[in-house]
Amino acid sequence: MANSDTLEYRNRRTDDAQRLLRLALDNWLYAATILLCIFFAFRAPNFLTVDNVINTLVSSSITGIVTAGFTIVLLTGTIDASTSGITALASVLCAVMFQQWGVPLPLTLLLLMVASILMGLVSSFLIIEGRIYSLIATLGSSGVFLGLSVGLAAGQQIAITKPELQNALFERPLGIPVSIWVLFLCYLLGYVMLNHTRLGAHIYATGSNYSAARLSGIPVKRVIRIALIIAATTTSLAAVLATARANLSLLYGVTIGGVNLADVFTAALLGGISLRGGVGKIERNLVAVLFLSILSNGLQLMGTAPAVWLVIKGLAFVGAVIIDAVRQRL
Amino acid sequence: MSNQQPILQLRGISKSFGFVQAVKNVNWEVYPGEVHALVGDNGAGKSTLIKMICGALLPDSGEILVKGANARIAEPVDAFRLGIAPVYQDLALVEGRDVVMNMFLGDELTHGPFNLFLDHKRMAIETQRVLDEIHSRIPNVREYVRRLSGGQRQAVAVGRALIRGGEVIIMDEPTAALGVEQTREVLNLIETLRSRGKTVIFISHNILQVLQVTNRISVMFHGEMVGTRKTSETNEDEIVGMIVGTKRDVLAAQE
Repeated sequence: MANSDTLEYRNRRTDDAQRLLRLALDNWLYAATILLCIFFAFRAPNFLTVDNVINTLVSSSITGIVTAGFTIVLLTGTIDASTSGITALASVLCAVMFQQWGVPLPLTLLLLMVASILMGLVSSFLIIEGRIYSLIATLGSSGVFLGLSVGLAAGQQIAITKPELQNALFERPLGIPVSIWVLFLCYLLGYVMLNHTRLGAHIYATGSNYSAARLSGIPVKRVIRIALIIAATTTSLAAVLATARANLSLLYGVTIGGVNLADVFTAALLGGISLRGGVGKIERNLVAVLFLSILSNGLQLMGTAPAVWLVIKGLAFVGAVIIDAVRQRL
Repeated sequence: MSNQQPILQLRGISKSFGFVQAVKNVNWEVYPGEVHALVGDNGAGKSTLIKMICGALLPDSGEILVKGANARIAEPVDAFRLGIAPVYQDLALVEGRDVVMNMFLGDELTHGPFNLFLDHKRMAIETQRVLDEIHSRIPNVREYVRRLSGGQRQAVAVGRALIRGGEVIIMDEPTAALGVEQTREVLNLIETLRSRGKTVIFISHNILQVLQVTNRISVMFHGEMVGTRKTSETNEDEIVGMIVGTKRDVLAAQE
């Protein structure tokens, strides 16, 4: 009896230590973001001006929107690496339909959404019916989308001369740029969906324990399919914003304003989404995106060499993977 | 008991995997309100038989009757609908979610416009009610399943079966991985289920536990149902003999 008492006591102590560690892992990002803001407020000139705050948010919007969809897919335990392919194809499709075929803007957006659903279906077909590991399957589908986009654009960047697209981007409802609205709307919808709908519950369950979810009658394949479609849609949305900003189709999806998969990965992992699926919160990922954006912006304002930022970004990526590994052992 | 209608009845159920006949022409009856053990050595066909009852496998031939009516169980959902609720060996719980979400896994309660939103409050209340009903000792329904003990997890899994309207609760090796204290918790849980009028199918290797809590014991050997005994009229030796194949029911063998 005495033995089991000490054992229980020891268990409780390791429990407390674990709880503290988990609390730290869950919340360090909020603290770090606030500290970073305070630091830059004193050290980086013009950091706390309205213009700079809006600029920072705008520059984080595209990666942020892609990360929202990416996060939802990761939560199902699937990795979607088709970001650059989808960005390229959506951008070229947008330019071709809107500029070359003269399709009106709302119809262009609607057709792009249909295209996104199709792209999501292609990836999910490879993963679910083809039983190919998701990272590999989506790298493959990404390559196909890239090829299609290059073919469609005949290897050229398509300049957009019709003004409506960029004008729409430069609208400022309530004084806030459209891309910031879209960014926050994506996360708000994502938050409500994940925490307050059956689909959200099923997404977490599928990612956390695939076979348990299946045995409980959750349509796991459909859940993964829907998640991939959501990701394709948000990625296309980000691609349209980037295209509107540049007034050019994004060649290979890597021109200025394009999306870097490593950035998306870094943000998702920093935000605490587990690569194994089923763990994490989408609102923390928004903070992670802002954190990275603030860091980049502040360093620029302080006149730090771009090389420093690239190194820090690399370190942040590795650090995020290490944090994920530590969390998994808890 | 035999003048009562069986809640679950199998007639001539067979299942083969390639050349291996895992279940051979099994006839079996389970009566309402009893705790009925299904025992047998590894590979005797228990799991295969149970999977067919739960809709995880389709039998090659034979029929399953629930409350006297012919039932077609092609999917786990069909079994649930008929009140057959399996509690799987690995429990099929989602560790990274709390007790409430596990209770309603795949069957979440909703409210609001178009029933779009999860009814977190009602799910928590229902969870607490069911856990109280089976005298479980889970302090907080918002606790992650990852942090529960084996006995508590067993309670969550059984609670889920009850919440789904389970009448026949199938427990597959529920005590296999548990310590003494938690095993007692699970055996108490089975008693509670019986006192609430539920039918329990209890699959186990532990003959002593089986003799302790069941009303009747059925034994499988090499895919065949070799016999059923009333627990009060049998003993360890007879059951072990049936399990290893030295004793068998002449009647069952002829069928």
